[in-house]
Amino acid sequence: MSKSEILDIKESQELINQFSIIVRSSQFHDPDNVAVLNVLEKFLPRINSYIEREGLLKIDLIGEFFYLNDSRVKYPMEFLLNFDYLAREFRRREIGTISLTGALSEEEMKTFLRSFISSGYSNTPFEALDAMLEDLMNIRIERLKRVVEEGEVDRRKIVKKTYFNAVSFTKGIMTKLKAGEKVSIKRAKRIVESMVDLILSEDQLLIGMTAIKDYDDYTYHHSVNVSVLSISIGQKIGLHRKSLTELGLVALFHDIGKMNVPREILNKPTAFTEEEWKTIKRHPYWGTLAILKLKGIDRMSIQSAIVAFQHHLNFDMTGYPKIRERVDLDFYTKIVSIADQYDAMTSSRVYQRIPLPPDRALSIMMDRAGREIDPILFKFFVNMVGVYPVGSLVLLDTREMGLVYECNPIHADRPRVMVIVNSEGKKIEGKVIDLTEKDDSGRFKRSIVKTLDPNKYKVNLAEYML
Amino acid sequence: MADTGEIRDLIQILLKAKKNFRIYPENNPMYQKTIDDLLNALNKPLEYTGEIPLRIKQYRILYEGEVVYENTDKDESLALFFFKDGVRELTFRQGIRRDEVEDFLQIISLDFEKDVLDDDIVTLMWEKDFRHISYVVDDTILLDDHGYEEEATREALESGGGEEEIMKAYEEAFGVERPTSINIVPLTNDDLKSIIEEIENEPTDKTMILIRTLFEMLYISESKTDFSDVVELMKKAIQYAVEHANLETPVYTVRQIRKLLDSGEFSGESAQILRGVDLFVNSSQLIRAFGEVMDSGAEFETSLIEDFSGILSKTAIPHLITILGELKNMTSRKTVISILTELGREAPGMIARGLADKRWYVVRNIIYILRQIGDRSVLEYLTRSVRHSDIRVRKEAIRALGEMGSGEVINILKDCIYDPDESIRISAVRAIGQIGTAVSRKIILEEIRSKAFREKGFTEKKEYFEALSRWPDETTIELLVEILRKSPFFKRAKHDETRAAAAFCAGIIKARKAEGALMKLRSSKNRLLREHVISALQRIKDVKV
Repeated sequence: MSKSEILDIKESQELINQFSIIVRSSQFHDPDNVAVLNVLEKFLPRINSYIEREGLLKIDLIGEFFYLNDSRVKYPMEFLLNFDYLAREFRRREIGTISLTGALSEEEMKTFLRSFISSGYSNTPFEALDAMLEDLMNIRIERLKRVVEEGEVDRRKIVKKTYFNAVSFTKGIMTKLKAGEKVSIKRAKRIVESMVDLILSEDQLLIGMTAIKDYDDYTYHHSVNVSVLSISIGQKIGLHRKSLTELGLVALFHDIGKMNVPREILNKPTAFTEEEWKTIKRHPYWGTLAILKLKGIDRMSIQSAIVAFQHHLNFDMTGYPKIRERVDLDFYTKIVSIADQYDAMTSSRVYQRIPLPPDRALSIMMDRAGREIDPILFKFFVNMVGVYPVGSLVLLDTREMGLVYECNPIHADRPRVMVIVNSEGKKIEGKVIDLTEKDDSGRFKRSIVKTLDPNKYKVNLAEYML
Repeated sequence: MADTGEIRDLIQILLKAKKNFRIYPENNPMYQKTIDDLLNALNKPLEYTGEIPLRIKQYRILYEGEVVYENTDKDESLALFFFKDGVRELTFRQGIRRDEVEDFLQIISLDFEKDVLDDDIVTLMWEKDFRHISYVVDDTILLDDHGYEEEATREALESGGGEEEIMKAYEEAFGVERPTSINIVPLTNDDLKSIIEEIENEPTDKTMILIRTLFEMLYISESKTDFSDVVELMKKAIQYAVEHANLETPVYTVRQIRKLLDSGEFSGESAQILRGVDLFVNSSQLIRAFGEVMDSGAEFETSLIEDFSGILSKTAIPHLITILGELKNMTSRKTVISILTELGREAPGMIARGLADKRWYVVRNIIYILRQIGDRSVLEYLTRSVRHSDIRVRKEAIRALGEMGSGEVINILKDCIYDPDESIRISAVRAIGQIGTAVSRKIILEEIRSKAFREKGFTEKKEYFEALSRWPDETTIELLVEILRKSPFFKRAKHDETRAAAAFCAGIIKARKAEGALMKLRSSKNRLLREHVISALQRIKDVKV
């Protein structure tokens, strides 16, 4: 990367960050307050020189990301919360784009800030802000476009294809390893890179795929699910794409030792005997051996082997395999372990004979946080999957029943829901509604009143999501 | 749309650039020119087209539906080069920068067939995250089972319950109380800070963690095969660690294994397998890796080198001697010498075997090491090196004999004082002086008194008198006074050199009885003599004060 490009990226990141700080300050102080003025003093010359140089300063919010004059601004770790805050404020006002077409004076900026803040209290924030900015010639806003609505079908097809490619590949790898054949790590990387790309652009869709559990090939789907969920946590933390690939790869291989567990144990319909449990608990050992023998020793295999060995060791060193010397769990292990527990608990296979509803699984994990699970990483996880994770069966206050279809990263308790039974109690073809929708009086049109266990009623998520 | 001829030319320039990048190193002007040429060839059409999308077929490249490149040669075809990794479209965009062109060329100039690479062309391009080069790939080439998606979808769709069960859920929903028990806890700045700290504190090299994991695996291995596999992996991990300049890992591993063996936790065959790690650490393979990493410029703390040296045994000595002759870097050689010195204390004979090495510089280093060790059991080997064909080796051997030897080597050294090479003679005189026996003194005195002494060069004469200064007694002082007072008519200049050397000796031993003779010479017209006399007088005066 050239020096000038690095400067470009830094400049873009700092602009978004400063903008976020100004908006946040204005939330608490009037723009004439010295706290805001101090920040404005630095921010205005900066944006004005940018506008002078580029002719325009356009901030777009597309999906999870900001774009500055059509170039995506990478999330730097240190600005993550400010970026998240600004994204939330944009969404709250349904703003997709703010364009500055000419240099701004301090007064114009103050007017903009006052309008921006007050529009947040309106029932129709976008319209309110648009009207308030009418006199400001150099500032234009555009409404937020819902990414999922544009070419949704095509994107779902891509997501579905990527997901099944990954499962098919994992199945292939395990079959080959079992047969003593060589496997290609190059291919594994490609598969994970595709998943990283999707998560970086539209994470909810791929996470949605992990909610479908009705497959026979549990182990392969589980490996991919854990990989997807781990990448998503990594993305939420702000890891860069190369690290996300690394994390996705180690997660994909975390259960590779299960190939040594006899199929009849893995697929046993009744409870395990003590001896069978003992066999199952050997899989981290076998996995570590398999990974290191597969690829020899290098950075990637070392990381994968560590995670394969540690992924059932808890934060408090309970779990298995039993170890003699206390270790600090690897960072990737802690992420994979959360993803692994969640997916295992919500699946009806090994370890958890009766699958738990997603919200129930989260609740159990919440109890474990701090003891068995890293509490901070778990916070990131909950913020990622939401209060009602994809696949939750919910009853709405409108007497409609539906499945959580997509989480809302801003309003964790207001996901998009696919209604499968209408308020008259009739089963309908899935109709997706957004729980953030408000009526004319500014009240939410629908809210969740209760969650149900989708497994109890064999509600087939695949029917609605695939 | 660009002219297809122009795109054809562009592809030819790209091909040429791909070849050039394999030939020329980065600092070669041709390397830089290649980037510039390709950048210009891209920018010309991009200026008015905005982008150049190239469709990649198995052996052809198409632009706007027209073939702009075709080659069916499996080794040469640029189309196949991209196609085989699944690239189906490659697009260059306006604004492409020089560094992007360079990175792109670096990727496509790699020899994916010959080099053992973990990444294919798509991964490498993906990692670069080009802003002005995009591509479309077909990932189905990665799969063995192309019908999986359909099959899994069908299976998933068939497995659920029907409408009846959904309606049952709906009916029961109103009667069941199942409140949601989880709340979103907002992330705080402290949470983020703590995660950032954790990421920053993650070790970049996790080999040590792997080794600890492998130890845990040893304890729970259930079969001999598994146990052996784990031990083999330990060796590989040690090799990897050393190759990456990580000496802590082998040090920890070997110490831990020794501890386990001492504790008796592993015995019999298991202990035997574990000892294999010790052997491996001292093997040619690992020692060579150690040499290579040092030569690559890796720097180690002295204490770490000492720790590493501590886990090696004498079996590593021959391999260390081998790499000693191969290392290019002086610091690396010094490190190996210091390790050999430590190991050699227990086995000086094994070090002495290095004296038979064909490389003179290795022999010289070995003599140096033997000198440091100072074990007289190797004197016999050293005496042979005095007759080595290389003067540098002989000098080092003479020096070693001087430091370590006694009466038994004096005759060998005496032979050397008649050597045709002055530097050998000087070394021999110094060595004889160092041995310091009565025989040594006798040899020195005889030589100084001989007629031939006058003809020697000043440096050699000075060496004799310096050697003589080891015996600061009456006999020596009388000889010095005698030489200082003697003023022959012929060959005065040569004699003044002898007197200057004698004055030098008088100064070293602070011979007050020579003060008178020296005073008479302090205004000598011979500058060399005058300067040495004044210096000697000063030394004597300093003692008096």
